[in-house]
Amino acid sequence: MPHVELLPNSTSTAAPGWTYVVDTGYDPSKVAINPKDRKRTAARPGGARGENELSARQQTAIARRIAELDRDNDPKQSISVPGKLAAPKTQNARRILQYQRQIKHWLDDEEAQLSQQQQAPIPRATARGSIATAGPRRQSTMASIPPTPSEATPAPPTFAVPAPPKVQGSSMSQEDALLSTASAMPPPLDPAELQALLSAPSLSYAASHVGPPAPGGPPQRQFCDNCGYWGKIKCLRCGARVCGMECKDAHEATRCLKWT
Amino acid sequence: MPPRGSKKAVAAAPRQTLVLDNGGYSIKAGLVSTQASTPPSYDDCTVHPNCIARSVRDKRTYTSSELDKCVDFGELAFRRPVEKGFIVNWEAERAIWEHEFMGGEGLRCNPKEANLLLMEKPNCPKELQKNCDEIVFEQFEFAAYYRCVGPTLNAYHPYDPTETSLSALPQECLLIIDTSYSDTTILPLYQGQLIQSAVRRLAVGGKLLTNYLKELSSLRHYNMMEETYLLNEIKEAVSFVAPSTQAFIKDLDRTWKGRLGDKRELDSTIVVDYVLPDYERSVHGYARPHDPVKSKMRRGLQPLQGPREDLLPLGNERFAVPELIFNPTDIGIKEVGLPQAIMESLANLPEALRIGMLANIVVVGGNSVIPGFMERLEFELRPLVPAGYILGLKKAEDPIRHTWLGAARFASQPELLKNVLVEKAEYDERGSGWLVRKFGGDLK
Repeated sequence: MPHVELLPNSTSTAAPGWTYVVDTGYDPSKVAINPKDRKRTAARPGGARGENELSARQQTAIARRIAELDRDNDPKQSISVPGKLAAPKTQNARRILQYQRQIKHWLDDEEAQLSQQQQAPIPRATARGSIATAGPRRQSTMASIPPTPSEATPAPPTFAVPAPPKVQGSSMSQEDALLSTASAMPPPLDPAELQALLSAPSLSYAASHVGPPAPGGPPQRQFCDNCGYWGKIKCLRCGARVCGMECKDAHEATRCLKWT
Repeated sequence: MPPRGSKKAVAAAPRQTLVLDNGGYSIKAGLVSTQASTPPSYDDCTVHPNCIARSVRDKRTYTSSELDKCVDFGELAFRRPVEKGFIVNWEAERAIWEHEFMGGEGLRCNPKEANLLLMEKPNCPKELQKNCDEIVFEQFEFAAYYRCVGPTLNAYHPYDPTETSLSALPQECLLIIDTSYSDTTILPLYQGQLIQSAVRRLAVGGKLLTNYLKELSSLRHYNMMEETYLLNEIKEAVSFVAPSTQAFIKDLDRTWKGRLGDKRELDSTIVVDYVLPDYERSVHGYARPHDPVKSKMRRGLQPLQGPREDLLPLGNERFAVPELIFNPTDIGIKEVGLPQAIMESLANLPEALRIGMLANIVVVGGNSVIPGFMERLEFELRPLVPAGYILGLKKAEDPIRHTWLGAARFASQPELLKNVLVEKAEYDERGSGWLVRKFGGDLK
């Protein structure tokens, strides 16, 4: 499949920075393959899509829906400010007051600026900023991540090693070591490390988002597209989940293949 | 170095400070004096919507607090100057500020004789910060100004609410969870200073929850895509967080209608009917337990009895909507839930700080008002925290105004305020680029 990468520019799109596109050109090597033949699909390089993996179309639809849910203002309706306000006092103020840009324009600007500064062409951050922005953030956090306690300070391994080993005192000191809470205490704060932590610059907006769940975790929960109960059945046409026949009928009548 | 004369001006006129928590949904504002005999309290804070609303029904436009006079919230359209927590549209924000603070009513603040303490969200784009500073000094002409990440000022709350002395502040370790209208942010504070590299943000906020409920209700019952105000009201009235994952599964079963031929009775302890306002006899709706007879009447299966009313049945919507804070993947947002997000943020800190943070977690912001929020957070966070660590989890006394009060306590102490304020003369001399770097902590 061709790899498409968007270079940062001032216009914005709701789509993530990359996408799979359908190769519609005539490809003689694929003519003989019956797409319904699952065994052969699986044998092809890349393999068949897994049970829970989404097609490009579904991913775009989900990204668009989330962007819609997260939107602050409707660009279609414009509400003018009531009453007459005094003229702006300076040129600067006039310019700022006249901006009609939305937040996504500013955030795209920020990302473009950051990638320019780094000179390295990192892929444009997606709205969720999960994968593409991992680069700059990982760097900045790596710098501030403290070394693990074992490598940080050669901390006194046992607090209760007595200086003069007496004949009777040795058993005492072993008991002390067992009772000592020092080993359970974290290593003390290193002032230099703390200073570095406090003076670290702020992350960019996209880099401040939390990451996706770990791949080994529980699978994503699937809900009925219609009533919100568990989605046990997958619609064969669009891949949405429904809970039963009743909801399947409602789904086909109202939603199926209408959200692309 | 401040220009000559600026120090004298401070000494000559101890001004009042306009403390402003400029949220995406509401503005929390109040005037604080450094000379007041009593420390600031919640009574000094006014909360107004941060929006301009237009009604197509009565053809009126409402600015901020004028919404109190509105009697018909049907198809009310909103224009919000703050997007994703940052002030984006200054044309609208200016109109709101002038209406609320500099008009005939409200706070009556003369910017030329007042300080401004403005709170912003973390990770604000620099260009927007620059615009903000320029407007504050060039358009409003405040005498002096300080802009900072709002939730950091929560460190100026005494740990023990009965303690009134402010001398021992700020708190050493504090982890603020700000679950607000625009998003949910996690902010570790050390000595009142934000640890920027550990700030994390979850895309789920009150706005997303309201929009999600709007989408679900429109799909399942009536088209309500234009009724943002109403759906927000419904969300606030009926939603709750399931106390655990197991409880969520159980509740989902209890609200299921069943299969064809195996119909189930809906559990009326969870399913409610929301009586929708008609904006003639009633302006606000209310919820009551589900009544199957009434819903049959609604669908024309039984003859109508009694006065006509429109009902919106709410079953799993009640808890599946706020569930997004804990499971954003339920609608495909590729982010971990709030408890895991907290641990991700703390993973950037040395262990000693991590212990301190976990023992002092304070939750602020409107979503924490949803019943069951704190129980669920504790239920999910406890297994993630090593057993030997103390987990201290507290909801702020007033989650919406808590940040404002922290800031007001900060602003009531002249010596703290003097260190951070920037005078207008200094701005005129050095410009906005310098100011952004100064407030960003790049200059010391």
